[in-house]
Amino acid sequence: MSPTSSRDASQPRLDGEARATAPDRVSARMPASAGEPAIAYPVKQPFTWWTRRRGYLLYMLREFTAVGIAAWMLLFLVQLARMRQGAAGYQPLGGPLFVAISIVCLALALWHSYTFLSLAGLFMRIPLGDRTVPARLIARAMFGALAVVTVAIAGLLIWGGA
Amino acid sequence: MTHETITLSVTRFDPGQDSRPRLQGYEVPYRDDWVVLDALNWIKSHLDGSVNYRWSCRMGICGSCGMNVNGQPKLGCSAFLRDYLPGPVVVEPMANFPIVRDLVVDISSFLDKLRWVKPWIIRDETAVGPGEHRQTPAQIDHYRQFSMCINCMLCYSACPVIPIEPEFVGPAAIALARRYQLDSRDHAGQERLGTLTGSDAIWDCSFVGECSAVCPKGVDPAKAIQQTKFESTLGMLMPWGGR
Repeated sequence: MSPTSSRDASQPRLDGEARATAPDRVSARMPASAGEPAIAYPVKQPFTWWTRRRGYLLYMLREFTAVGIAAWMLLFLVQLARMRQGAAGYQPLGGPLFVAISIVCLALALWHSYTFLSLAGLFMRIPLGDRTVPARLIARAMFGALAVVTVAIAGLLIWGGA
Repeated sequence: MTHETITLSVTRFDPGQDSRPRLQGYEVPYRDDWVVLDALNWIKSHLDGSVNYRWSCRMGICGSCGMNVNGQPKLGCSAFLRDYLPGPVVVEPMANFPIVRDLVVDISSFLDKLRWVKPWIIRDETAVGPGEHRQTPAQIDHYRQFSMCINCMLCYSACPVIPIEPEFVGPAAIALARRYQLDSRDHAGQERLGTLTGSDAIWDCSFVGECSAVCPKGVDPAKAIQQTKFESTLGMLMPWGGR
């Protein structure tokens, strides 16, 4: 790859134009830096970027848990669709394979929930007087709420149909 | 075990001669209290005066000497050689920026992004009135950590979104916007929120979180971005959600 202008490869769209959708006082973009464009080597991100740091790998694992959850929900929707044919048409999935898939999907869902709720205290900023509620307290409250909802749904499923 | 020398593999790139960057090895004296920047200065003084890199304060304040050391975004003045024994230490330019020469990258895109978020106090009055604009310690605590940013750009080097979305305003600029949004003296909170929720800003972030992990000053740009996302969503859903 030969060297090329940095403006061609990586310069963001900073053209001095104010954005129509945002207030002018803050959002008007400043003119791009003056001077001749530097001749620079545009570095590309390799496909294996997510193997370079532990944090990247954990991020990819976190994101991929959504695939397992979506797959299980798809199976669940298939079962619901069968119910349209009445009790006779309802054939719940079962067997060792489905149980194994369900256990894997449950593990993925739990990991997804853990990573999300652990970060709740980070992204939720709740004012309390002139301070804010501590992040750790918010995360614990979230886990507590998850436990209560889980027990309530489990109780409904186990004893509600009896 | 004592070490007499340690090898640095330094990226070399001359746009007038090289078609792509290459690594060049230098053997430098090992000192227990030396950082990578000391080793680079020794190379420039004793071995090869043509090596190019940025540096200034040598004490983690100016943010000039950002580079990738063994693949990790670091300040050259804070990366001790003793942590990389027995070597070699691979010293490369910061990732996600075009390389101008050797370890020097083109930071003009960052400077433009920084200007765009207007990292200064905006007030309603056209002229600053007499007297002080005092704040309580609690008011300062709201934004203090975001004000510690030294614009070293290591967070941009660690952010995997930047190479995919080069127009993404990025972690440091958003953290600084958040810093002024949380400042009780600033009157442009809603406007800043409008800017940050527009294109190329907070919603480009997929929350990898490594921007915060690599920050040498303990700033948490990921927190700034996620908090802004949450406030923006709350503002849409709840009538009282806006600031």
